[in-house]
Amino acid sequence: MFLALTEMRRAKVRFGLLAGAVGLLVLLILFQQALLTGLVNQFIGALKNQSADVLVYNAQARKNLEGSIILDQQATAIAAVDGVAVAAPLGEGTFTVVAGDEEQDAVLFGYVLGGPGEPTTLIEGRLPEGAREAVASSRNADDGFDIGDTVLIVANPGGTETVFTVVGLAEEINYSVAPTLFVDFAGYETARRAVNPDATLVLPSVIAVRVTDGADPAEVAAAITAGVDGTEALTRQQAVDGSPGVASVRQSFSLILLLFYLVVPLVTGLFFLIITFQKAGALTLLRAIGSPAGPLVRSLLIQVVIVVLSGAALATVLFWIATLFGGGSLGITVEPVPVVATTLAVLVLALLTSLAAVRRVLRIDPIAATTGGGVQV
Amino acid sequence: MNLALTELRRQPSRFAVATVVLTFLSLLLLLLGGLLDGLYLGSTGAIRAQRADVIAYSESARDSFLRSRVTADMRETVEGVDGVTEVGGLGFTLLGATVPGEADLADVAVAGYELAPSGVPDPPPAGRAWADDTLQDAGVSIGDTLLVGPAATPIVVDGWVEDTNYLQQGALWVTLGTWREVQNANRPDAFVADGVVQVLIVRGDGDLAAAVDEATGSTSSLTRDQAVNALPGVKAQSSTFNVIIYSTLAVVLAVVGLFFSLLTLERTGLYGVLKAIGASTRRLFAGVVLQAVAVAVLAFAIGGFLAWLADRALPGEVPLQLTVGRYVFTFVALIVAAVLGSAISLRRVTRIDPASAIGSAA
Amino acid sequence: MSSSIPSVPALRLDGVRKVYGTGENAIVAVDHASLSVGGGEIVALLGPSGSGKTTLLSIAGGLLAATEGSVVVGAEDITGHSPRELTEFRRSKVGFVFQSVNLVPFLTAEENLLVVAELAGERGSARKAARARAKDLLAELGLSHRTSNLPSQLSGGERQRVAIGRALFNSPALVLFDEPTSALDTKIGEQVMELIQAEMRSRGTAAVIVTHDTRMTHYADRTVQIIDGVLADGVPGDGVPATADDHH
Repeated sequence: MFLALTEMRRAKVRFGLLAGAVGLLVLLILFQQALLTGLVNQFIGALKNQSADVLVYNAQARKNLEGSIILDQQATAIAAVDGVAVAAPLGEGTFTVVAGDEEQDAVLFGYVLGGPGEPTTLIEGRLPEGAREAVASSRNADDGFDIGDTVLIVANPGGTETVFTVVGLAEEINYSVAPTLFVDFAGYETARRAVNPDATLVLPSVIAVRVTDGADPAEVAAAITAGVDGTEALTRQQAVDGSPGVASVRQSFSLILLLFYLVVPLVTGLFFLIITFQKAGALTLLRAIGSPAGPLVRSLLIQVVIVVLSGAALATVLFWIATLFGGGSLGITVEPVPVVATTLAVLVLALLTSLAAVRRVLRIDPIAATTGGGVQV
Repeated sequence: MNLALTELRRQPSRFAVATVVLTFLSLLLLLLGGLLDGLYLGSTGAIRAQRADVIAYSESARDSFLRSRVTADMRETVEGVDGVTEVGGLGFTLLGATVPGEADLADVAVAGYELAPSGVPDPPPAGRAWADDTLQDAGVSIGDTLLVGPAATPIVVDGWVEDTNYLQQGALWVTLGTWREVQNANRPDAFVADGVVQVLIVRGDGDLAAAVDEATGSTSSLTRDQAVNALPGVKAQSSTFNVIIYSTLAVVLAVVGLFFSLLTLERTGLYGVLKAIGASTRRLFAGVVLQAVAVAVLAFAIGGFLAWLADRALPGEVPLQLTVGRYVFTFVALIVAAVLGSAISLRRVTRIDPASAIGSAA
Repeated sequence: MSSSIPSVPALRLDGVRKVYGTGENAIVAVDHASLSVGGGEIVALLGPSGSGKTTLLSIAGGLLAATEGSVVVGAEDITGHSPRELTEFRRSKVGFVFQSVNLVPFLTAEENLLVVAELAGERGSARKAARARAKDLLAELGLSHRTSNLPSQLSGGERQRVAIGRALFNSPALVLFDEPTSALDTKIGEQVMELIQAEMRSRGTAAVIVTHDTRMTHYADRTVQIIDGVLADGVPGDGVPATADDHH
């Protein structure tokens, strides 16, 4: 321990730079992971945290809610499939609204009150009981979507304005990175007509299904897809994973994150290898005067641990500061589990690559001190 | 014989470490930039191509194509505004289309237009379309009849256009009539009546945006570039990715600084001797910078090649586009970061005492 | 021999003192040293380790600034020179041969000489002339068959000869040697000393050779002893004895 710390104290710039580089890299990893989780939640939180076991899309829509519409005859057929306990319409749309005295975009989900499609993460207030009541996302409470606030659907010429009152807040029910409201399907129909006075019909985007007790949602979904023409039924998880935003975001980020995870141990491993080579003379001397290899190796590993942990600590602090400034808009919060997991992963990788330096230390032959192998101090 | 470059040539293994790490980082930077550009270009092509001085939305739409509705009356008013020379309608519908001979649906954006964007010919006959060439990846060929949307509206592909995609979906450029047909058959809840479009493309002189909005009282007009930035996700993606890119450049700086200061440490003795026989600090430091740049250049060359390989290997859904501009930007940024990183060694090089060459001077 | 012709001394140290630290902790490395080396004269500076001979050599070569006293090399008074001026001075007016040879490990023998030209910023035709000069010098030193070898491929004696070549490359008036033979065995060491003597004499270049080995002093014209930072005239070598006005 003493050896490790003394060396680091004597070479503050070097170790400082390394810890700094590690810190920056870990920060970027934390940031991107949080971004990924946050983005995914903001894209499809609404789908994840609602009560339907199965969502039936239009097959043409390719798992895209926005592009899906279910016709009446399809809805009837779905209800008749084995394993379907309740089948109810679920509508989704983006609207211009006035909330908190400001014009904003908001997504409305219309569901049959008490039926599948109901938000499952209520944390404050209550669920809607009438056609003009809404549950909003807790994330948007401060933007004019708090309990008691009114949300006005801006109508196009010819339509009637519709007003909803927020009666409850739920967690992570956003869709498409916008403020989201869950309302009664009747209220959703009114909103649609306000914006499209010419609309002939308001059809649901998907059918929300609750399966019978003991039935397997995946099997029921498969049955629906097979039995009802032009539909694609997905379990809740499948709907989330298949959402167009999610798949491409996940793929892009995965590649980048992989590279970042590789760069960190590469930088630390190579750094420690280099300084071990530079210290070869001094290490040989120590071995020649009787120091066993164990403490030298331990000292190296301790340095790796200290560097990674201080880098991670720096990263966490910077990350936390960053979220204070802009976290809200990107939906990023500092969660202990990802921070700890990332730090551990980076630490393990760094220790693995430091094995190269350890091998070098173990290969030192004390006899080299006397043969003048160049003790260049 | 340049001392710094000769050392690079004769002792390449010394610099191997820094080169390897910088290659990784170059690859990272190019991929990040490529994703950013791919997302941007693939989302905004259709709007960037518009030859418009101003794009007029309905006021309530809050700069969203999807929610905007401009009526025939509003259009007439706009046509009458001073300075306006041409007005054309524009509308988009996002749907899936069945491609003959393919199992998967293609993501298309049916774009109804009157005034041709750059690179796109005048509107084809009804029911026919100019298709963005990215649809070739989905198996579309000229002459194919695509069945668009749940209502399977047929559209025949007449030819290809380039870089006109809308929100990552392949554009099909059709007449306004065809567009309305597609929209109304497939999105009855977003019905568009005759004469109604989503936005107006306006060409003319003077401060058109203000003039148009004032005349109609119900429109909100943006310049074309503003409209591009108003597309969903564009601004957020740009700022997020740029933060990540610049942070990665800071890492490059730290890594170069780190490895070159280690190198300088190894060469303290050598530098002492060189100073003793008359080398100035400036010359020695210039050598360090030169080596840092050389390493960065080599790392970029390898990283750039790997990025090109990755581009070819990645599946089509990953929106990666490596432009010349991105390569240039990354190259320049990498060099600058390398120069700045090597500057961290300056103090140490300065402090090396020539008297140290002659052994202990006490 | 240039001793009988009145000429500018190659080196003149007057009352040079070097003090490290202050007050109670002050260490006097060199105490009121005065020395005059004539043009073309070879002087051996003899003393045990810790005697201050290396410090004196460093001051004479502009590697170290004296605390007191004046240092004049050839016609140039370097006493008050700034570090930049000293660098320029070392580049052009003086040559060094260090104890641990200190050749640039990744340059060939020829390139190690050319470094001097590179540092002087020579370009184009001057560079070509320098290359020819390097080849000639290496030939003189008996190394024509070694010009393309790296230091790791040369023997100890050969490396020392390359170092001498580098020291002579820009034709300085004075060359300073720091224990040139202590890392070599006796036979090779004698060969190197013979070479040094021959080269200095054939060019009329002055030399100060720091050593602790009394067996090597007969190669010099004169020997000066130094103990605890103080100079004292010792047994003269084969050359001109010390004269009255060479010390206070």
